[in-house]
Amino acid sequence: MTKLNIEEKRISTDVVIVGGGIAGLTAAVRIKELNSDIDILIIEKNTTGYSGKANRGGGVLQYFDFNRCTPEQFVGYHAHNVGAFLGDQELLYKYVSMNNEMIEKLVNWGVKVPYDEDGNLKVIPTGPMTGMIGVDLDITLQVRKTAAKFGVKIVDKTVMSDILTNNGEAVGVVGYDLIDGTFSIIKAKSVILATGSQNYKIMPMWNGRGDGIAAAYRAGAEMRNAEFGNFAQQYKAKSHHDMVFSENVMYNSLGENITKNFRRFPEADVSSKAVSEWYKQMSAGKGPVYIHPDEYEVTAHGDALFTTPYVWNRPYGIKIWKKIYGKAAEKDGDCKEVVMCFVGEQSPVKVGHDMQTTIPGLYAVGDISYSGSASPGAVPAPPGRNRGSGILNAVFNGLIAAESSLDRVSKKDESAIDDDQVMLLKERTYAPLLKSDGIDAEEIMEDIREAVGPVENSVYMSQHRIDIGLRKVEKTKNKLENLKAQDYHDLCNCHEAQAMVLSAEMQFRAASMRKESRGWFLREDYPETDNRNWLKYIIVKNNEGKMDFSTENVPIEKYPVKPLFK
Amino acid sequence: MTNHKVIIDKDKCIGCKLCYKACFVDVIRWDEEENKPIAAYQEDCVHCTYCEALCPKECIDVVIDFESERLYQSFDRYR
Repeated sequence: MTKLNIEEKRISTDVVIVGGGIAGLTAAVRIKELNSDIDILIIEKNTTGYSGKANRGGGVLQYFDFNRCTPEQFVGYHAHNVGAFLGDQELLYKYVSMNNEMIEKLVNWGVKVPYDEDGNLKVIPTGPMTGMIGVDLDITLQVRKTAAKFGVKIVDKTVMSDILTNNGEAVGVVGYDLIDGTFSIIKAKSVILATGSQNYKIMPMWNGRGDGIAAAYRAGAEMRNAEFGNFAQQYKAKSHHDMVFSENVMYNSLGENITKNFRRFPEADVSSKAVSEWYKQMSAGKGPVYIHPDEYEVTAHGDALFTTPYVWNRPYGIKIWKKIYGKAAEKDGDCKEVVMCFVGEQSPVKVGHDMQTTIPGLYAVGDISYSGSASPGAVPAPPGRNRGSGILNAVFNGLIAAESSLDRVSKKDESAIDDDQVMLLKERTYAPLLKSDGIDAEEIMEDIREAVGPVENSVYMSQHRIDIGLRKVEKTKNKLENLKAQDYHDLCNCHEAQAMVLSAEMQFRAASMRKESRGWFLREDYPETDNRNWLKYIIVKNNEGKMDFSTENVPIEKYPVKPLFK
Repeated sequence: MTNHKVIIDKDKCIGCKLCYKACFVDVIRWDEEENKPIAAYQEDCVHCTYCEALCPKECIDVVIDFESERLYQSFDRYR
């Protein structure tokens, strides 16, 4: 390390939260609400309040009207139609039951939620049991302000590179300043990861880069449902602008309605069956595929939700959406051509009902652990078949992690940091900067995107195509030791590239194991759901550098909703 | 590698730092001496356009080069 002459700083805190999005901020504020004496530090790669996904999407909260459906009814509907019996029904029940409480919390924390003149929430129905409520896009910023009022310390522009462990427990994190490279050694009694999902930097705006997932994996935390990191959705062919609800009005180049091939009535949520239908039409030479937005009320006027104040008045968001929609519309003109593209959304860090990972003292909340929590079952991270659940799942996780983390902090004495481990992790962190010769992070990322990107490799899969993807990933993995960084921005890219290789390998290897189709997970060569053999989770674990796979039975016998057929 | 451009009119900039804070992908860096933004890593821009939309003096223009964005599909028109 002498060559780099890196400055070092040591910090000690009760709780360190990695990631300043809505999940991390929720955990921070809730801990302070419960005990204002606890020291909390948030470290964030960019700027807390602006980072994360809650403020970069459609600003939607899932809503359950308990006069129309009970949590039990929704769990039953979800197990049959969305989670395909792979979900943790107890955790999902708790999520649904806390719906009103979570929305109330956000309102108390300064988040702008729309109400009508009579004081009722302005809800738009999205299905037989669910609705959605628009929330203004400064949601994360408002909760940052609340966190600051509570005395939460926030350090921006700091990248977490690894988790410190001692005797198998998490005792802190290490990281570096994105601007000047200073190495931080942060000691904590509890570590909460809120770093988002893996999106391979493939489609614009979907920003999770999986570096938190990779750090947890390296530290020895188990992963679950990695094969469900294969979210994809519809994009405009010219502007690459995300489309919502437009799967309901898809047509091939012969003018045939192809939505009818996979769906009987309009649905709110994205479906992998629309991805496979697009692929089949394209492969049969019946592409390109177009949408007829005028044929369905929501797609005919969908932009109004975002660019006008008439449904939900969201002035902060409207300012931003008008720019985004305006630039896309200028590019698209009258073109209605659409493409199905891979996004990713791998969220595999395994957590229990207390949001603790398999490493004591290490918690994971929000999109890093959505599939890993098993709450949603056989679907990728939000909005995979459950629109509006992304923000509220993050809030739900944050509230739970706050309580369990607080419990640990109150019982735990300070643990020592292993200085030999710090030295090794420091070397690993800065290694790409020491290379005078080598390859760029972008080259690695491009290789990985070419492996996972084609939807027939990752969404509408077959053994042959999974193997093609995996071979590409293995080849890229061999290049990793030559990664070279020119500055700290580039160093961060190198760490993200490493995380992408890991995520893609887990994705393909786990997908190769699951020899069935279930929920979002579609295999052309195994089209049936196999409840006899595959009511199981695939678990991935780092065993001294070797990627180990095992399975765990879904405890279906203790859940109220069971599959009718084997 | 994309080819989007973040064009900043520094003469109109009042140094409020909102664009720097809002950039969640570290494209915009801050020149502390001049108290002005720098479009340091434009190749990583994901055209969220927050910088442009939030700038109180309208001095930023995010110019999107859509053709430089790949879609990674196996059909010639979407590679």
